Amino acid sequence: MGVAAAKEIGPVQAEEMVLNIGPQHPSTHGVLRLKVKTDGEIVSEVIPYIGYLHRCFEKHAESITYEQVIPFTDRCDYLGSMNNNFGFAVAMEELMDIKVPERVEYIRIIMAELNRIASHLLALGVYGLDVGAFTPFLHMFRDRERILDIFELTCGARLLYNYMWVGGVSHDLPRNFDSICIDFLDYFEPKIPEFNELLTTNKIFIERTADVGVMPAEVAISYGVSGPNLRGSGVKWDVRRDEPYSIYDKFDFEIPVGSGDVGTLGDCWDRYWVRMLEMMESCKIIRQALKTIPEGGDVHQMVPKKIRPPKGSIYRRTESPRGDLGYYIISDGSEIPFRMKMRSPALTALSVLDEISAGWMISDVIAILGSLDIVLGEIDR
Amino acid sequence: MRAYLRTIWESVSTLVTGMTITWRHMVNIRKGNVTLQYPEERWPRPERDIGFDQDDYNVIRSRLHVDMDDCIGCLKCERVCPVDCIKIETEKVDKGEDIPDVGHTGITSNGTKKALLLTRFDIDMTECCYCNLCTYPCPEECIYMTGGPNSEKHPIDYEFSQFDRNDMVYRFAKEASEEQVEKATCVKNGEKKNG
Repeated sequence: MGVAAAKEIGPVQAEEMVLNIGPQHPSTHGVLRLKVKTDGEIVSEVIPYIGYLHRCFEKHAESITYEQVIPFTDRCDYLGSMNNNFGFAVAMEELMDIKVPERVEYIRIIMAELNRIASHLLALGVYGLDVGAFTPFLHMFRDRERILDIFELTCGARLLYNYMWVGGVSHDLPRNFDSICIDFLDYFEPKIPEFNELLTTNKIFIERTADVGVMPAEVAISYGVSGPNLRGSGVKWDVRRDEPYSIYDKFDFEIPVGSGDVGTLGDCWDRYWVRMLEMMESCKIIRQALKTIPEGGDVHQMVPKKIRPPKGSIYRRTESPRGDLGYYIISDGSEIPFRMKMRSPALTALSVLDEISAGWMISDVIAILGSLDIVLGEIDR
Repeated sequence: MRAYLRTIWESVSTLVTGMTITWRHMVNIRKGNVTLQYPEERWPRPERDIGFDQDDYNVIRSRLHVDMDDCIGCLKCERVCPVDCIKIETEKVDKGEDIPDVGHTGITSNGTKKALLLTRFDIDMTECCYCNLCTYPCPEECIYMTGGPNSEKHPIDYEFSQFDRNDMVYRFAKEASEEQVEKATCVKNGEKKNG
């Protein structure tokens, strides 16, 4: 009977199937639609469709004053809001030629590094979730909560801060900040080996991520990938060290790069591991900053009454948790930006997805997408 | 074959390592490691020792509140709001005069004479983005976020919710009918308006 049925159907025809992942899908980390062309289980092409979260940030910025832009930069990369504020403030200060007080610089760096830890904790936690490990997610969110508490203590907000203004920060640090922050670091640093035992060295996790989605350094550079994704491919590039802004040149820290110890250089595991190492480096920076932060002084001292930059333009990039975050601001001498452009690191990371996930299975595409750590709020802006 | 067996062994051993951590956390359970029964108990607000001379800082993001008796209607908060959620309308009245009909006090607690009667001061809290920008330029310090350092002015209110969306628009202006407002402003400025 089986033979007869087979004769009726004819020879098996294999066709390319189009699979739609998203826009509502827990593994797309936001509102992203992936059109995946598959041959059986093997993926031949991944086309990302973006724009579901488009809020006209750049156009809208042309109708509001500079200080009103800062709350909107928060909402682009909502996991690294402090770093977004930081980038904008640094660009504006360079354009307006403002020298901010030294204490403000230290406060900014402490906050930016704390936010980098918080962002990486979330990235690593949900990455574990993507490949099927639930416990590390809870551990990492528990610790991220403590960082958010520190932010709440400092400026009242937990996620969208509007903390770094042009020429200063909105609130000075509380008096007990030192002890609270050091308490947190003392608590957090021993947790990293625990994460490693839970997730990093777990054989199932390694099997899912090592050798998967290899991104060679040339591919990463040609697509403009930056941040931990680029460093995972073994390129030692970090804006904090190579084009130091603020006072990053005063601190002593390593730039962790992928090694390919577990799999191939530039695979998902390397990108994951670079983030883990970066958290430790951030702890180091915060400790140094807390030791040398100058006391006293008004954090609002250099905040201009009216932000009215001279005619001209500026492009300044900073290192956000996701990579090179650039602001291009054109000023026509008024209180309102003439044009503003934000160079988003997550967009370039997403654009490389097709290149590195062709030939892998559907479940691997999820692992690769998670390892790129994209935030759709920043991609669509 | 050996590699195959080693993979199995590594999987089992790393799983056991992971489970050990889970069990360790379960055995060493401490107070505060359990789920908070939210509506009955709440996380304490962080205690902030601000020090210096900056205890007027608005270190909280909660519902906006306006002390209408102190508001002079300068529109600074309306202008600075990035999402335009504050709407203010004013009428001219005599400086420093109390008009009890419409609940208008003439002098603020800072001693400034109010020249404007506020007929409308609405804050749409569904639009508010809690950026705290409006509280800084206020010359009378009458717009602030509730609780925290302002808790003696207004108790904290950050868990506000309503059944109707329109109830999220907080109307701070004292309620007065149009005739009352007309009367109050006309009587005081009768000559100016007619002339």
